[in-house]
Amino acid sequence: MFRPSDLPDGIILLITDELAAPADFLLHRTLATLLKERQSPHALILSVSEGITRWRALASKSNVNLQQHLDAGSLEFVDVLSEVHPPAAGGGGNLTTNTSFRVLVDRVQAYLDRAQGGSPLIILDDITTLEWIGFSAVEITRFSRALRSVCLKANATLLIRHHIVTPNEPDDLFRHLLQISNYHLEVRPLSSGRSGEVSGEISLHPGFSAPSKTIKLINRSTATQYRLTDVGPVFFAKGTSGGVL
Amino acid sequence: MSSFKRKPKSTTGDASSSNKPTSEAATPLTVYPGTRISPASTLSLVTSTGISSLDDILGGGLPLSCSLVIAAPDMHSSYGELVQKNFVAQGLASGQRVCVVGADASAWVREVMWMPDARGVPVRTSGGAERRQGDSDEEEKESEKAHGGKVTIAWRYEKMRQFQTTTSQEGETFCAPFELGSRVPEEVIAEAVGERRLTFVEVGRRVEDVLRSIAQELAMENALPVRICVPWLGTPAWGDLTPQDVLYFLHALRSLLRSHTHGCASVGLAPQMSAAGWGGAGWMDKVGWAADGALMVAAFSANPALSSMFPGHHGLLQTQRLPAPHTLLAPSDRFSTLRGLGGSGENNLAFRCTRKRLVFETLHLDVEGGTAERRTTAAAGTGQGPGTGPGRPKKKRVGFSDDLY
Repeated sequence: MFRPSDLPDGIILLITDELAAPADFLLHRTLATLLKERQSPHALILSVSEGITRWRALASKSNVNLQQHLDAGSLEFVDVLSEVHPPAAGGGGNLTTNTSFRVLVDRVQAYLDRAQGGSPLIILDDITTLEWIGFSAVEITRFSRALRSVCLKANATLLIRHHIVTPNEPDDLFRHLLQISNYHLEVRPLSSGRSGEVSGEISLHPGFSAPSKTIKLINRSTATQYRLTDVGPVFFAKGTSGGVL
Repeated sequence: MSSFKRKPKSTTGDASSSNKPTSEAATPLTVYPGTRISPASTLSLVTSTGISSLDDILGGGLPLSCSLVIAAPDMHSSYGELVQKNFVAQGLASGQRVCVVGADASAWVREVMWMPDARGVPVRTSGGAERRQGDSDEEEKESEKAHGGKVTIAWRYEKMRQFQTTTSQEGETFCAPFELGSRVPEEVIAEAVGERRLTFVEVGRRVEDVLRSIAQELAMENALPVRICVPWLGTPAWGDLTPQDVLYFLHALRSLLRSHTHGCASVGLAPQMSAAGWGGAGWMDKVGWAADGALMVAAFSANPALSSMFPGHHGLLQTQRLPAPHTLLAPSDRFSTLRGLGGSGENNLAFRCTRKRLVFETLHLDVEGGTAERRTTAAAGTGQGPGTGPGRPKKKRVGFSDDLY
């Protein structure tokens, strides 16, 4: 049975999801697992969509006190849109936007320099919204490439979440992210619609930069299904949920 | 001495007072007037949208710090606007602060519905009894008949609950019983404006300037919850908005609400922007990602086939996304009776607008499988329908219309 925690350290993982099956549970679960299981964990969250309140609330469900880690410096939370601003909506372009992403990369670099030892975790919770609210595709591509570069140098794990709105037509950003990632974790809703027993299914594909000695992949036909509960996801093999058997 | 103690009665009928003792003991959460603690999380406060069935679909109400987008793609009806009016009316009735963002917002607020027994001041508790006395709506008559009239049924079905397609008005303290026939009294508006509980933000400027004004409203004070209502986002008064502007506005509004946890927002999308392809492929999904909750109120008026298929309803409700501010799973998935996700698939949802109110309910096919009339209509020129008599029409050649050309 596949679990997200089975993935190796130091990888670039692209997580894609759809509106009917958001993949935020994977990010929260990965963070909670890291903070609980490591002796001296290091994690940095680049948050575009989710506020710190939700991160705190969901971590507390996994018995993790996020505030303690924030105070101790083992976790850093960066609100991306307070650091960078999209070209002004409705005209009046902001010429400093291009250098603003540099600020974020520098901040990640500084954190990774401080966090020596182990494999730090960097989470970018939503890269797609940056494109939707006005950042150019070129800037976002450069940003993701720069993030990948600093993470590879520090042997850090990078999780990037991308929203898919046209499942049958991959967009340019998705193509680019697939090129720079080692693995692609795909979260999809059931094609039959919402269900109380099955929230969605996940499959794992190799990215273009996947190492030759890969871990066991999961194709769509044998995708692992999950059900979201209050405390976290419950994974099970396809067709073995309580409502089926 | 008895070990049982009588619970002290609350002095007012306000929802906040009934919630306060338990909530304050359990958590340091401040329970504002017109709000209550979410059934899903003790960290969340929910407030009513003014429509109890919509509250049920949202999992108890709209959580504070969340935004909700109502898309109404039909150009010829205004059911989406009706939801916004209920939202504003509920805010005024429960004494919360309301900020309406739009062109000529003060005139729009005067069209908001109200409770039928209003006498110039917000009535929060006493509406129920009087309202029932004067009721003459067809569906309530029917339900009265069903409750009062003794119907003989098989004993094994006697304890079976009556089949319901919508939720009942649970407590009028949380969701006021508005009626579409009543208008909000001028005194209520004047009082709210005088106390700065009702404010307006003009549009027609840059989106950033509108957002700045909203931020000022949110930052003004936090003793009362603030409802931000945008009745029509994207109408000509807003200027020429691009899809990017709309998504930026929604995303920035959500960020504002995250930092001001005593606020919530309801945004109505203009009809042309509610169409699936307006902002490119996957437009409505993008809107859903940019807000905490997104619902689509799709009226039947654009499609006569649907209105004839479902004569009891006026449109369908599609849930794109539901707010979950402190939980992994949206509270609606666990607590919504109408969606019914407890152990099976999701119910289809529809709405109908009666003379008095807008009601969201589950959509079912009729007993006969979707068509109300099973019989075929009589052929033209016959009085009694098909039969064997002198009036029987001659047989016509039956063929495809294409054959004629």
